[in-house]
Amino acid sequence: MLLSRESSGGRWRTRPDGMEKVTGTLQYLTDMSAEGMLTGRVLRSHQAHARILALRTEKAAAVPGVHAVITHEDVPGLNGFGIALPHQPVFCEDRVRHTGDAIAAVAADSDEIAEYALSLIEVDYELLPVITDPEEAMKEDSVLLHPEGNLLHHTEYRKGNPADAFAGCAYVAEETYFTPRQMHTYMETEGGLFIPEDNGRLTVYSATQHGLMDRKQLSRILAMPEESIRVVSSPIGGSFGGKDELNVQPYGALLALRTGKPVRLHNSRAESVRAGLKRHPMKIAMKTGCDKDGRLMAHQVRIVSDTGAYATLGTEVLNFATEHVMGPYMIEHMEIEGFCIYTNNGVSGEFRGFGGNQAIFAIEGQIDRLAEAAGIDPWEMRLRNLRRYGDPGPLGQPIVQTHGAMQVWEALAAIPLMAERKNGPGRDARDPWTVTGVGSAIAMHGAGLGYGIPDPAGGRLCLALDGKIEAVFGYEEFGQGLIATMEQMLIEQYGFDAGDLRIIIGDTDVVPDSGSSTASRATSMMWMALRRLHPDFTARLAEAAESASGGVSGLTPGPGGMWKEGKLILSYADLARTLNEPIVCETVFHYPTTPHERVGAHFLYTYSSIAVKVEVNLLTGRVRIVDQYHAVAAGPVANPQGYLGQIEGGSGMAVGFTLTEDALMNAGSYVTKNLDTYIIPTIADMSGIQVEAIEDLPEHDTYGPRGVGEIGSVNLAPAVASAIFQAVGKRVTRLPIEPEFLQETPFIPQKAVNANVG
Amino acid sequence: MEALRDEPLWTPAVQRPRSLHEAWELKRTFGRDGVYVAGSTLLRTQWEAGTVSMPKSLIDLRGIEDLADIDEDGGGLSIGALADLSRCRRSAALGHMAPAVQEAVRCIAAPAVRNLATIGGNIASGYGDCLPALLVCDAELAVFDGKFLSRRRVEEWLADRWSGMHPQEDILTGIWLAPPAGPAGSRRIEIFRKVGRREAFTPSLVTVAIGCFIDSEGRLSGVKIAAGGGSGRPQRLDIAEAVLEGASIGKEQLASVFEAVVTQFETYGDPFATVEYKKKTAGNLIVAELWKALEGSAGKGDH
Repeated sequence: MLLSRESSGGRWRTRPDGMEKVTGTLQYLTDMSAEGMLTGRVLRSHQAHARILALRTEKAAAVPGVHAVITHEDVPGLNGFGIALPHQPVFCEDRVRHTGDAIAAVAADSDEIAEYALSLIEVDYELLPVITDPEEAMKEDSVLLHPEGNLLHHTEYRKGNPADAFAGCAYVAEETYFTPRQMHTYMETEGGLFIPEDNGRLTVYSATQHGLMDRKQLSRILAMPEESIRVVSSPIGGSFGGKDELNVQPYGALLALRTGKPVRLHNSRAESVRAGLKRHPMKIAMKTGCDKDGRLMAHQVRIVSDTGAYATLGTEVLNFATEHVMGPYMIEHMEIEGFCIYTNNGVSGEFRGFGGNQAIFAIEGQIDRLAEAAGIDPWEMRLRNLRRYGDPGPLGQPIVQTHGAMQVWEALAAIPLMAERKNGPGRDARDPWTVTGVGSAIAMHGAGLGYGIPDPAGGRLCLALDGKIEAVFGYEEFGQGLIATMEQMLIEQYGFDAGDLRIIIGDTDVVPDSGSSTASRATSMMWMALRRLHPDFTARLAEAAESASGGVSGLTPGPGGMWKEGKLILSYADLARTLNEPIVCETVFHYPTTPHERVGAHFLYTYSSIAVKVEVNLLTGRVRIVDQYHAVAAGPVANPQGYLGQIEGGSGMAVGFTLTEDALMNAGSYVTKNLDTYIIPTIADMSGIQVEAIEDLPEHDTYGPRGVGEIGSVNLAPAVASAIFQAVGKRVTRLPIEPEFLQETPFIPQKAVNANVG
Repeated sequence: MEALRDEPLWTPAVQRPRSLHEAWELKRTFGRDGVYVAGSTLLRTQWEAGTVSMPKSLIDLRGIEDLADIDEDGGGLSIGALADLSRCRRSAALGHMAPAVQEAVRCIAAPAVRNLATIGGNIASGYGDCLPALLVCDAELAVFDGKFLSRRRVEEWLADRWSGMHPQEDILTGIWLAPPAGPAGSRRIEIFRKVGRREAFTPSLVTVAIGCFIDSEGRLSGVKIAAGGGSGRPQRLDIAEAVLEGASIGKEQLASVFEAVVTQFETYGDPFATVEYKKKTAGNLIVAELWKALEGSAGKGDH
C-alpha cells in the first residue's frame, strides 16, 4: 500500500504533540529555567592533541559573579563516561585528545560572565603530533592515543575460501568507498537544567535516548546512588543517535551540586559541532567476484572506521557495518575485516543507520559494477543473489524468517520509475546540459542491539485513581512520533479513546526499564509489550468493572469506559472511584535475539528497496534528486503518518549524506563550525517521496511491526550513485558527491563540436 | 570560546540616528568602534564565526526616513538602501527594470533573513550577490559623504570599496537604475544565475550575470558580463564582452566566451570548491545561459 493520508483513512491521526511542535510553543528541556539559576559553560581544549602541563583557574574563580570553577579535581566519582567503555574524561587531567575535550567548567550569574571566566583559565600545553588519518594511526610507529593502542576494535568474518573462489570468478570488481563525517544536526543543541533538590537528590532535565543509562553513568561520575538522581529526558528536539551518549550532563550535574543552585547549560551550535558526536567516516575497500551468470562467488572487505578520540559506541557501529557489508545477498566465500581506529578527529558515535549506511553504499556499488561487467541488468543481478525465505542471516546466524527481501525486490520491479530506467538517460533538447538517470538499491537492516548486549524491554499499564489509563514506558520522544504511535496502538489494540489516556515517558523516577529508544526498536517493543499486557489488563479491568457495576459480567474496554453489547456501561472515572488502589499491570521481557553466539548479530531485520531519479547538471556538476520511491517490508504499519514520516525524514538525512554533508576537519579542528558551511538539505533539495509499505508477514510470525527509524536513510546513496552512472557514465566512490567530479566542459572547442550544442 | 579577552563581553550600544548627517557624525566620532547596521544579518554571522569582532556601538540606520522606498523616477527606478530583500523580491517595478537584480535578490538566503536584510547591506558588504547583477545593468549607487549625496557607477564604487581607500563614514543610501536603452528594434536579455552548495538558502560559490541587447539580425550589443560569488570581488568580464559585442552567436563565439571567462575571472578556492571549479562553472553558465536565451532568436541559425 502506498502510504498517504488518503490511503490510511481513519488511521491517519493528528499527532498529539503536533500542534505545539509545529507552532513552536512546545517547551523543550533547554527552554526551561529555574529561580536563581546559574549559567554553566565548559572550557574545551584549545588543542587537538597535547599534554596538559599546568592548569590555572584562580583568575576565573575571582571574577565577580562566578560561583564555581571546576576541573578533574572536582569529580567525586569516576572521571569518565561512555555507554560501552567509560573512558572519555569528564575533565581531562593530563592530556587532551580532541578539540571537544573538556578541561574545566564554570557556573556564573550570566553567560557573559561565564564566557569571560573561561577566557581567564590558563592551560599550558605540550603539543603532541595530531593524528588525523586512521591508517596512519594503525602504523606500528604511530603515537598511541590510549594505553591499549589506537585500535578500539577489530572485527572478522570468514566463510569458505575467497582466495580460491576469486580465481574461478568470471568478473571481479575492486573499489574503495569513502563516506563522510556526517553531523546529526538536531534542531535543539545539547543542554539542560540541573537542579539540586532540598532532599539531597539531583534532578536532571536533559535529553537522552535512554534515561536510565544516563542515570547510571551520572551515578558513577557523581558517586551518588542511582536512586538519588532523577533524569527527565523528553521532549527532545531531535537526536538521531547524537544524544544517546552523555554530553553536557556531567558538567551541569557537577556544577549544580557544587554551587547548590540550579544550573542551566545549553551548547551553542559551534560548541555542539566541536564536542558532539558524528557519523563514523569509513573507508571500505571491496573486492567482489561473480560467475558469468552474475552469481556472487567471493567477497572480500576491509573497513577502516575513524572513531575519533574516544570509544562511545564505535565498537558496536563497526560490528553493525561488518554485518551489513554483504547486504541481503548469499555469498559462499567471504572474508570481512574491520578496524575501528582512534584519531584526534572529534568523536564519532551512534547515528541513525549505525554503520549500515556506509556498508550498504559500498556493497550496492559493487553489485552495480559487476552487473555492468557481466552485462546483466543491475536489478536482475540483485535477484539472482538475493536471500530467500529460510536463508540464514548475514553472519550465518538464525534470523526471523520473512519474505522481506523478495517482497521489496518485486515491489520495486513493478513501479513506473523502474520501467523508465530501461529507457536510459534522459535529456531535454531545450536544456541539453541536464541529464537524468534512474538508479535503485536494496537493503536489509538489523534492529535491536543484537546478541550479547543487554536489551531490556517492558512497560506498564494502569488505571489511575483519577480514571485515566496510564501507559508508562521508559522511552523518549525526540520527534519520531513515539507518543503518537503509542496512542494509536492503545486505541487500536484496546479500544481506548485518546482522551482516556495519559502517556508517561522520559522520567526515571516513574518509568520501568523499557530499554533505549535506539536501534529501530521502540515501536516493536511497545507493540510487544502492549500485546503481552492485553489479556491481563483487560481481564483486570473487566473484573473490577463487574464488581463496580453490581455484577455485570463480560465488560470490555472501549472509548470512555467499559462496554457491553454496544453500550457504555461504566466510565473509567466511575470505575476508578470504586478502587482503593490503581489497577497496575507490568511486563518485563528482552528484545528477541538470535541464538547464534556472535556479539551484535541481529535477529529481526527490516527490508527496503529504493528507486531514485536524478538530474545531473553537467555545467555545475550538481545533482538533484527529483523522484524517490521506497518499498519497505517492516510488518504491519503501527502508525501510517509516523511510518511515512520516518522514511521521509531518513531520506532527508540520506540526501545530505549523499550530496552535501561533511563535517570537514583540518588538523583536528572543525572547518565547518556552523550551519552556513555545514550544509544540510532544505525542502528545496527534497523530491516527492512515495512510500510503499509491505505489511505481510508469514502466518507464524509473532514479532509484529519492525522498526522503520533507520531504514529510510540507508540505501538512498547507492541508488543515487547508480542513477548518476546511468546519466553520465561516472562511478561515484566518495560521499558527499563532489560536483567537480561530475562537471564537464562542453564548450572547450574539441569537445564542443556537435557534443551538446545543436 | 578560547579567545582570550581583556574584559568581559559587552552588549554593544545601539545608536539611532534620525538623519544621514547624524549617522555620519556618529561614525566619524566612533571610528572603528562604531558600525553601520540595518538588518545586520551578514554582520551577525561574522560576529558568531569570530571573523569580525563585535563593535562597541551599532549605528542603526533604520530610523532615517525615506531610505526604504522603491520609486519609479523619470523612467528609471530608485531603490532606497534600506529596502528589505523581501520587498525588492516582490517589486514589480524592479522585475520590469532589472530582472537580473530581482533574480539575484530572489536567490539570497531564506524568507526570515530576507525580511530583515536590506539591499543596501548586501551591496555594502562589497561582495553581495546583487552586485554582479547590478554590474550588468545601468546602475548607479547613491552615497552620502557627510555633505553631499552623489551618484557613482557601481564599478567605480566597487573599485574604491576593494581598494580599502574609501572613507569609512560614507553611507550607501540607494541604487538608481536607468531604463535599459538598446538599439531600435532590439530585445533586452538579462540573466542572473547563482550556484551554491544546495538548492536554496546557500552562500554562493559562483554568481554570473549577463545583460545585452539582440537585434533582429541576431547581433548583440551593449554586452555586459559579470561574475562573483562567495566573498570574492564581483567583476566585469570585458574580454568575454568584447568577443560578443557586435557579433552573432555561433559555436566559435561560445567557445571563445568560455575561454575568455575562464581566463579572466579571478576567484579563490575554499574548502568546498576549487578555483578551477568556480572558473569552469562561471564559463559554463555564461555560455549556456546565452545559448538558452538566444534560442529562438536569429542566433539559433548556427546550431
